[in-house]
Amino acid sequence: MSEERDVHPDCRNASNPYHECTDYCFRVIAVAKLRMQQQQNQSEVAQASGGSRREEAIPNELYPDEGTHEDGPRPEENSDSDPDQPEPAQEIMEDGSFPKLSSRQKKWRELRAKMQEAKKHNQIEIANEKKRMEPPSESRGVSKQKWLEDRKRKIGKLLDANGLDMTKAYMLDTQEAAEEKYKKWEKDPAPFGWDVFNQRTLYNAYKKRTKNIEVDVEEYNRMKEADPEFYRDASSLQYGKAPKISEDKIDKMVQELKDRDAKRGSFSRRRTFREEKDVDSINDRNEHFNKKIERAFGKYTLEIKNNLERGTALPD
Amino acid sequence: MSSSKDADPTLGYLTRKDTEVKLPRPTRVKNKTPAPIQITAEQILREARERQEAEIRPPKQKITDSTELGEYRLRKRKEFEDLIRRVRWNVSVWIKYAQWEESQKDFARARSVWERALEVDYKNHTLWLKYAEVEMKNKFINHARNVWDRAVALLPRVDQLWYKYIHMEEMLGNVAGARQVFERWMKWMPDQQGWLSYIKFELRYNEIERAREIFERFVLCHPRVGAWIRYAKFEMKNGEVPRARAVYERAVDRLADDEEAELLFVAFAEFEERCKEAERARCIYKFALDHIPKGRAEDLYRKFVAFEKQYGDREGIEDAIVGKRRFQYEDEVRKNPLNYDSWFDYIRLEESVGNKERTREVYERAIANVPPAEEKRYWQRYIYLWINYALYEELDTGDMERTRDVYK
Repeated sequence: MSEERDVHPDCRNASNPYHECTDYCFRVIAVAKLRMQQQQNQSEVAQASGGSRREEAIPNELYPDEGTHEDGPRPEENSDSDPDQPEPAQEIMEDGSFPKLSSRQKKWRELRAKMQEAKKHNQIEIANEKKRMEPPSESRGVSKQKWLEDRKRKIGKLLDANGLDMTKAYMLDTQEAAEEKYKKWEKDPAPFGWDVFNQRTLYNAYKKRTKNIEVDVEEYNRMKEADPEFYRDASSLQYGKAPKISEDKIDKMVQELKDRDAKRGSFSRRRTFREEKDVDSINDRNEHFNKKIERAFGKYTLEIKNNLERGTALPD
Repeated sequence: MSSSKDADPTLGYLTRKDTEVKLPRPTRVKNKTPAPIQITAEQILREARERQEAEIRPPKQKITDSTELGEYRLRKRKEFEDLIRRVRWNVSVWIKYAQWEESQKDFARARSVWERALEVDYKNHTLWLKYAEVEMKNKFINHARNVWDRAVALLPRVDQLWYKYIHMEEMLGNVAGARQVFERWMKWMPDQQGWLSYIKFELRYNEIERAREIFERFVLCHPRVGAWIRYAKFEMKNGEVPRARAVYERAVDRLADDEEAELLFVAFAEFEERCKEAERARCIYKFALDHIPKGRAEDLYRKFVAFEKQYGDREGIEDAIVGKRRFQYEDEVRKNPLNYDSWFDYIRLEESVGNKERTREVYERAIANVPPAEEKRYWQRYIYLWINYALYEELDTGDMERTRDVYK
């Protein structure tokens, strides 16, 4: 560590053992001196330009060669710490008297401006990405996720009120609610995919339909009396012979069929159309195809897709 | 070059040279720096999407008179027939054709289309279903019956056809007919659900006696524990307790060695509990526990302990609990005969019960497991076993003779 450092005693970074005074420091010192002078003689504002000329001359004389190559790093390293420092320097620049100084100033200002703009753009992009990443707000009704989150929050509050943990959330349930839950667990999970019409579901569907049957007991008894072979065997010859069926029964049957037809429409619900953040199709048919493919291969190609988005593959 | 001229006969009189596609030689890329304005793939896709032109559709024409209608029908029929000629095996095309004919209210043609479709593939149950539905919706009941009859005769194992046939008959109020169809179906010995739907049908009309008969046939056809339990529950629901008991007993006779017998026992015991017959219930539990191999008795044990807690006195409860733990320890010591800890626990349990015979027996078994190696730590625990045994004999039984025996 050399003892002879280029440190001006008036430099404010003099206490820093590693600091070496550069042009900028001298300029700063000059400005500080100038301000002190200005404070002394208030009326002589015009002297600022004259004084600066004098001050600027000094560093130029003393260190003419150091000035040029210090331009680059200087503004960067000092811009964050001293935002107000450039102001007085700029003041001096107003009249643009010294071309060398102003070019450095200009360059420095340009760089600073670029940095600020880049920062601003980055912030905007961050905000946009955040908005894109989080789920889009629902246009119609309350989304399921939001509802779930609300519920979780409410339950959390209640739990805190009773001093319980999240794991003991079941303690908040009433007895009836608990019973319902047990019943639901015992029921098998709903089938999906190719298994939707398995024997069990078909049977359940039939059971549901039988609930709509209106049992007319008198008519039943009447028929019982009228027909000697009421309890037929499978091989009875009365097969196919039906009693006179009233019109309204037929109408009821037709109506039930039509109801079933209408119900069939609501078998699978229409998904909400999201203004897709990512468009990967050129067409509606293409979109449909992409959806199908995503369903089939989505989980296997996820990694590849991420790599492509990133631009490089991860090393593992 | 000459060989290539003759080699490809498909080109006819033209030679290969003539038919080659002539492209300009690709120029070398000179500037490899990235362009100043980059475009992303997504942007390209978005632009392509936006530039899509709307689908070109034929203009909508209103049909004003019968000739136009005739023309329209002719055109459509031609279209459909062409389609069918192309893809004969595609059921949905046939269905579309038939349903279009139905919408035109031309039922003769519609029926013929359906029949042709069935000719192609009679094994497809959706075809039959849709055909019958068309007949039903247009109120052709006897036609519908015919269709159903054929369907059910050709595909008797498809339950859905049976369900819908029976449902139709029932909706029309033809209960006797529905019953006959059910009987026909039961001849095929269908699945449990088929039988159950028959029983529910009878119960809808309050025919309990018939339901009982059907149940008898059901448990014959499906001799499984579930079936018997359902039968018994049905009897219970009608308040016929002695009958229910008889059912259970018969079940136990037949199915004591079944793999699901414990379910049966549990159900039986619960039934007895509900009838407030605690003694019988206890007997059943004991019998079940003896009968069933230890591996599957977990659930049974649990239920038994719960039952005892409710109804039994202290001794009974203890007995039950001890039995359970005993069973657990047996398991453990069988797996690791050299795990002296489990032996110790087992011995302590037996001591607490106070049954001398068993305790002695367990001790003997324990000390029979001599440690394998001449290592101190194995022998340490083993010695403890001996010591405990001796102490026990001395203190608890006060039998000096035996103590001396042991010390030797």
